Amino acid sequence: MDRKHFLGTATTVIAGTTFPFKKSFDIGADEEFVFKKPPYLKNGDSIGITAPAGFITQEEIQPALQVMQNWGYKIQLGDTIGKRDFTFGGTDEERLNDLQKMLDDPKLKAIMCARGGYGSIRIVDRINWARFKLNPKWVIGFSDITVLHSHIHNNFQVASIHSKMTNSFPFDWNTAEPIQIETIISISDALSGKKMKYSAVPNPASKQGVAEGILVGGNLKTIESLSGSASDIKTDGKILFVEDTGEYLYSIDRMFWNLRRTGKLKNLKALIVGGFKVKPDDPGEEFGKTLEEIVLEKINDFKFPVCFDFPVGHQKNNFALKCGVKHRLLVTEKEVTLTEII
Amino acid sequence: MSITIPPYLQKGDTIGIVAPAGFMPIEKIQTCIETLDGWGYNVQAGVTTHSKSQNYFSGTDEERLSDLQQMLDDRNIKAILCARGGYGVSRIIDGINFKKFMKHPKWIIGFSDITVLHCHIYSNYKIASMHASMAAAFNDGEFNNPYILSLKDALEGKPAHYECAPHAFNKIGEAKAQIVGGNLSLLAHLIGTDSDIKTKNKILFLEDVGEYLYNVDRLLLQLKRSGKLKKLAGLIIGGFTDVKDTERPFGKSVYDIIYEQLAGYKYPICFGFPVSHEKENFALKIGARYKLSVADNVSVLQEI
Repeated sequence: MDRKHFLGTATTVIAGTTFPFKKSFDIGADEEFVFKKPPYLKNGDSIGITAPAGFITQEEIQPALQVMQNWGYKIQLGDTIGKRDFTFGGTDEERLNDLQKMLDDPKLKAIMCARGGYGSIRIVDRINWARFKLNPKWVIGFSDITVLHSHIHNNFQVASIHSKMTNSFPFDWNTAEPIQIETIISISDALSGKKMKYSAVPNPASKQGVAEGILVGGNLKTIESLSGSASDIKTDGKILFVEDTGEYLYSIDRMFWNLRRTGKLKNLKALIVGGFKVKPDDPGEEFGKTLEEIVLEKINDFKFPVCFDFPVGHQKNNFALKCGVKHRLLVTEKEVTLTEII
Repeated sequence: MSITIPPYLQKGDTIGIVAPAGFMPIEKIQTCIETLDGWGYNVQAGVTTHSKSQNYFSGTDEERLSDLQQMLDDRNIKAILCARGGYGVSRIIDGINFKKFMKHPKWIIGFSDITVLHCHIYSNYKIASMHASMAAAFNDGEFNNPYILSLKDALEGKPAHYECAPHAFNKIGEAKAQIVGGNLSLLAHLIGTDSDIKTKNKILFLEDVGEYLYNVDRLLLQLKRSGKLKKLAGLIIGGFTDVKDTERPFGKSVYDIIYEQLAGYKYPICFGFPVSHEKENFALKIGARYKLSVADNVSVLQEI
């Protein structure tokens, strides 16, 4: 159907009649998802560091502190840095208060989560987002921080940055591997508003094609744990990326079934599979399928492109991705690129 | 919501055994077969119980699906006992044709991964099914224990009357309602899918095995955040066994975690009920009505 033409004629008859094709227009219509981009950071702006999930020591965040100061930002350490309540970076109240203060503080232009672990989901429903909605700022992190990303995207349509956190900054910049430096610099690029472009090593299992859409995603296990909640990820018409670590193949299989059976795959523009550090099968319990096979069998009846081995995940090649921002994914035999577009 | 209770079994009826998920060698199913035989039933062991599979599953998806499908469709088979759980029902559930089963319901027996079948059947077809021990539980001389015998009674249609010791975390009270539930991880995994269960005004029971403490916390939060805990008639917390902890300890016991997440709910709650991956695993008819009485000295779950 010539959509433009159809819309043109439809407007003349639409009043007072039912519009029989409305549903087909809802699906994949990017215009419906208007994401706000928080202001990009300028020299001298302030970034807060907080621990909404697992605990971290003052010492562990020093490399991140140094590097981000060198980028020209002021760093404000939250009360939770150096705090510990067993596995958490402080009690729920302490973590909540610290994050809340940073969300509310107009001086802070970005909040970097110190690390993941577990815990964001314990506080997410108690966060007051009123000021954040009025003055959005970049929330940065991944893994457990997928909770915050997904919650923010779903409820406030504000873009955020999926990237390494303070615990991934190399202790010694001089001896760090190039990929460590590149990925850390990608955080600076994203924060300062550079248009992002990534490439991945082609994997023969990838499904070729090109797609444009808003990028959303994160840690697969965390995404599953949000299903049915107010933070559930909405994937219709979007490019979805997923990554995970330490899961058995059977568990990864079950999670992809969850994506499929909750309807999160059928209206995608594209699927990006990042790093999956698979936990080896127990002897005698060999799953018998590769990650690629697990993914492809869930989407074989869909036409959208799929790429594997994208540099995102619990690994060194984990680049900063702007979630809630429109990108173009190109997957060919010879190249895979993801490009931020306007 | 009215529910169809499949016909109870008569002596001479046939029970089919299938392995819709993980692999299990037939030797490990033998005692179960002999016990069912001793109870007066014929047993028909499906092809998946004789699988030559070399991997995790008891056959390919097609093999597992067709074995289960045949058993569902065969009117001679009055009940289907799943040999074991593991993982695999999620892979075939959307391929099952329940048409004949709907016309001629029969008991589906199992737990753990079989929670997927129970929930799917309850949600979509309003047919009761049986959360109970599977083949492995009959082994090691356990075929005569009260939990295995509770399955025998359930199949014969004897109304259940289970008691369990009081627990400091219990919330006193009484509820009369349909019971639903199963393995916590799977109940969470089904949220948002076609197999998801509604829990409002129901008695919900939960059990799990081998989960990390933090993950039990997260799973409960998922139930909570998807609205599954707030309007229960009652709640039964079964065994949470072989829990694992992270390198950085979570700092709470699994029951502490659950208790904390349940603060504020007014309905009766019974901790330590014998439904679990251990031998303490009473047969529960999902969809049937029970009375849960949680008192100072004892908790009783009774079919009504």
